[in-house]
Amino acid sequence: MGVLAAAATPPWLTMVLLTPLVGALLAWAAAAARLDATLVRRGALAWSGIPVGIAIVLWATFDPQATGLQFVERVPWVDAIRVEYTVGVDGLSLPLVLLTAVLTPLALALAWREDDRAATHVALIMVLQAALFGCFLSLNFFFFFICWELSLIPAYLLIDGWGRDPARRRGAAQTFVIYTIVASLGLLLPFQLVYLATAHAGQPTLDLVELGRLGTGQPGMAGGNLQALVFAYLDAQGFSDSLGRFPLLYASLLFWAIFIALAVKLAIWPFHTWLPDAYAEAPVAGSIMLAGVMSKLGAYGMLRVALPLFPEAAQLAAPVIGALALCGVIVGALGALRHAMGDMKRMLAYTSINHMGYVGLAVAAAAAAPDTTSRALAIDGAVFQLVAHGLSTAALFVVIAWITRHTGSHDARAAAGLRSRAPRLAGAAGIAMFANLGLPGLAGFVGEFYIMRAVWANAPLLALGATIGLVITGLALLRWYGQVFHGSPRGPHHAGPELVEVLALAPVLAGLVAFGLYPAPILDLINRTALSLAAALAGGPPS
Amino acid sequence: MNLALDHAWLIPALPALASLLIHLAPPRAERWAGPLAVGAGTLAALLALLAALAVAGGATAAGSFRWAPAADGVIELGYRIDGLAAALIAMVAPVAAVIQLFAIGYMAHDPRRARFFGFTTLFTAAMLTAVIADHLLLLFIAWEVMGLCSYLLIGFWYERDGTGSRPAPRDAAIKAFLVTRVGDVLFLLGIALLWHETGSLHIGTAAGQLFAPETLARLAATPTPLGVSAATLAAALLFSGTIGKSAQFPLHIWLPDAMAGPTPVSALIHAATMVAAGVFLVARTYPIFVVSAMLPWVAAIGALTAVGAALVALVQTDLKRILAFSTISQLGFMVAALGIGAWGAAIFHLITHACFKALLFLGAGAIIHAMEQAVGHDGPTQDIQAMGGLRRHMPLTFATYLVGAAALAGVPPLAGFWSKDEIVAHALTHGAWGVAIALLAASLLTAAYLTRQIWLVFFGSFRGGATVPHDATGAMRAPLVLLALAAALVGGINLPWQHGLSDLIGAEAGAFHPGIAALATLVALAGAGLGWVLRGVAADADLAQPGARGVLALLAQGYRLDALYRHSFGAAVDVAMDLRRWIDRAIIGRAIALVGATTTLVGRLSAGADDILLQGGAELAGRGIDELGGEVRRSATGRIQDSLALVAVGVVLFAVAAVTLLRP
Repeated sequence: MGVLAAAATPPWLTMVLLTPLVGALLAWAAAAARLDATLVRRGALAWSGIPVGIAIVLWATFDPQATGLQFVERVPWVDAIRVEYTVGVDGLSLPLVLLTAVLTPLALALAWREDDRAATHVALIMVLQAALFGCFLSLNFFFFFICWELSLIPAYLLIDGWGRDPARRRGAAQTFVIYTIVASLGLLLPFQLVYLATAHAGQPTLDLVELGRLGTGQPGMAGGNLQALVFAYLDAQGFSDSLGRFPLLYASLLFWAIFIALAVKLAIWPFHTWLPDAYAEAPVAGSIMLAGVMSKLGAYGMLRVALPLFPEAAQLAAPVIGALALCGVIVGALGALRHAMGDMKRMLAYTSINHMGYVGLAVAAAAAAPDTTSRALAIDGAVFQLVAHGLSTAALFVVIAWITRHTGSHDARAAAGLRSRAPRLAGAAGIAMFANLGLPGLAGFVGEFYIMRAVWANAPLLALGATIGLVITGLALLRWYGQVFHGSPRGPHHAGPELVEVLALAPVLAGLVAFGLYPAPILDLINRTALSLAAALAGGPPS
Repeated sequence: MNLALDHAWLIPALPALASLLIHLAPPRAERWAGPLAVGAGTLAALLALLAALAVAGGATAAGSFRWAPAADGVIELGYRIDGLAAALIAMVAPVAAVIQLFAIGYMAHDPRRARFFGFTTLFTAAMLTAVIADHLLLLFIAWEVMGLCSYLLIGFWYERDGTGSRPAPRDAAIKAFLVTRVGDVLFLLGIALLWHETGSLHIGTAAGQLFAPETLARLAATPTPLGVSAATLAAALLFSGTIGKSAQFPLHIWLPDAMAGPTPVSALIHAATMVAAGVFLVARTYPIFVVSAMLPWVAAIGALTAVGAALVALVQTDLKRILAFSTISQLGFMVAALGIGAWGAAIFHLITHACFKALLFLGAGAIIHAMEQAVGHDGPTQDIQAMGGLRRHMPLTFATYLVGAAALAGVPPLAGFWSKDEIVAHALTHGAWGVAIALLAASLLTAAYLTRQIWLVFFGSFRGGATVPHDATGAMRAPLVLLALAAALVGGINLPWQHGLSDLIGAEAGAFHPGIAALATLVALAGAGLGWVLRGVAADADLAQPGARGVLALLAQGYRLDALYRHSFGAAVDVAMDLRRWIDRAIIGRAIALVGATTTLVGRLSAGADDILLQGGAELAGRGIDELGGEVRRSATGRIQDSLALVAVGVVLFAVAAVTLLRP
């Protein structure tokens, strides 16, 4: 083992990564010691404050003017195949690290209501948090991929063990996991080829940043860009004799394999069919982590890996990506409308497909927009949208969990007039809902605004089509809200305590309002990275 | 510098702060919310009037802050009080304050009145922000917050159900939000276009700003794939926002339903905020319209709306519905005026209309309030056929309502006469014959429906039962008098020989033509006669029933546009929803099953459960694993363990692959 890279600051990133793992072990140990479940839950919630604290330190000390990665830690691991433990953050990952840190306490607070195997439940949430941190922080493919796969274990167990419908949760969990594992082959195999190609060129690497630089052909790299290296390797292996000498073809094949692996996670149409079942069946804490953070991994991977590695292939693929994303926008909106008067979690699942469709449109714009400014705005908008959507969706899952507990049904039609019974919760739900449907003044709008601007520059027709989704999702959410909260109240006079939910939601809602009115604190983190990535993708000089 | 101008940001900030306080306050806020709203509103109104006077004296004010980075640029939002902004804040803030004063009386017995004032103050703040915004993005944000407030206030009585032809407030609220949102998303695209093409969304004529001459020239010269210039496309998209917000054909359908909210809200929406914002948007971005080919379309839509809505108003039997279609019609006047280049006259009419329409709605509110006492909450409180003779029972309301109606009908020398005359005169003197004829026809109809309404409401004898209604008391009286004074006198800001408003906003002063003024007056008189003749028409409410046929029924049902939309767009969405489901199940689902089946076959041939997992399609492989799990369970293993095993297989596979393939 090597030594930690000389750094004046503490190894914040390793700490943020390990804290939840230690927390999970403590929770299990507490369970083994037969400690009271309430104590374990309180302990877990308190413990999840540590990553929040570290994340705030990162936020405060991150230099928004600097390009490149910050807080980098590097430990060589398996030198023979260039496997390293490398972590670092930049404008793409830091907002998502913050999101993960903030949403986990929310999930743990909602796990408050879970009495079944409470210690294991909270431990799994923390393991999931660690795995997600790992994905966002790793800069080496090997470690990234391990975390990527590792995150499936707790997610699977949460759905399978604590899901809402014992008859259906196993099927939903398995579909989710197998879908993702199969798709992740699309990450694994291309990276093996990429590694062999770089090794063939005499500079073997699995470092994501280095590969990105190689892909965009930035100065300092010998032997052309990654596309050329891959072709040279395949040529040497004799592939080009049978398949032809088309470097872009091979790059495109690799790009699409990677893209589909990530598109499954992001639930881009038509790779979305696992999502409604998984979100619907998961326990509320699982839904928060899945919808709030995990699906964001797909978009993160596209911006971190797929686009920089094969920018030319990405540009070629962009019209198709844009079309698929638009399908997702519309399909998500229509699905949400169908379930607005039905299964509430399913409705929310479809709105997520809808919103991730906008992110897909932004990815296409980042890959193909004619000017660097538009590409950078696409990346700004995409990352901001991921954060805002994570917050608003998580909040809505909390609200829906409360309604379900109150009415004993997942069906919106079982509820009516709850606004007179629980006005504070109705207000909280209203803010979350309007943030979700992108009302200006709330955080959901900012990302959509930047994305619309970028998509307009890339393909005005896609922007026009996406407006259909904006209207129909609005209709779906307003109908749902009207059904559940408006009208004459039915059922028991007291709606039951809403205090836990309202308190847990308060910081999330405050964030939605604050960053909607004044998004600079988040966008400043993103913008510098977005600009340099956009410049690299557009083939210009790195700024 | 001027004290009011230096602190101009306070004008929207005061009501916004009042809203924040009311929302964060404990439930006891019910008592002081109304006075706080009126206090903040009055202070804002005083500041606005002082600021407008200062601007008239030649001063301006501006300020901004850094909102967010945007790629290689930065978005700075702020305010700028120029003539147009000054004219509008001087109208919006006082009218909104007076309406809220009225609401203290009107809402006195509502258990949620604190919420009510929390929303109305936010509404006012949003409108004021939109007016003084120096950046299209800030204007849009305020614009949408107004949409939110209209949703909240129209649906204020969210627990009530619909009755007969009246929709439930909660449904009317959704309708208002969504129909305007259709226009809003196109407006958003227009902003995206302008930002992309010009690199700036700053409202101003300086270099690098949106209306810089070179920017406009470039916009007009840039072609788009649609065959029109970028300026035309941008203007069309911005105007879509206006069509939604200012209730122009074909997106006007939300406004008549919006009366489901408390009546002071109707006054706010129809006069000071919301619908005024649409007209203001065109006025604000007028330089783009001037270099575009959109203006004839703007004029056509405005003229069409002015006549079409006035015809509908002629046969309505709901007190507020008549006023709602009247608003649509009058907004058509303003839009048509913008379309023919009578920019200053449009703003003039916007201001005068705000005064007398607020008055009419508050008068209607007083009548409804009194009718509730007379016929009960569930009775025909808004049905003009159940009224009659209120002239004697509600003299103050009658007198003020008469002033408002006369101002609206264009009776000289009240406010509406001057502003409407300026528009018609401009059309006639600039050769816009079609618009001129349409607007004269609309003027005739305006006088007609007002005469019919006033006759049925105030004359004859009371038809609603034994208990007669009584005039408004307390906080509801002063606003009626104040607004009646305004409706009578506000025309004075822009008389033909003393055009203060035109000078303030920098518009060309309209010339006065005695002949045209006489013609307009004659038309109004003829309309009044027509209304007297038609006073008995549509006396039966059956016309509004879906089955009714004939021209009058078509008018009574607003040309059946709601049904048309339901059977076209609504049906299309239904079909699309079914199509979506079918594609998800029949195509994508089967494709996955097929992949699963194929690979399972391959997997079986090459043997081994691991291969099934590795290559199998999601669902079939899932079943395979389940069977495998069953096997393991039978050998007395726990659930979690075999689940763990399942996922562990993937990791193991990865490790194997890594070791074999990546060996250097």
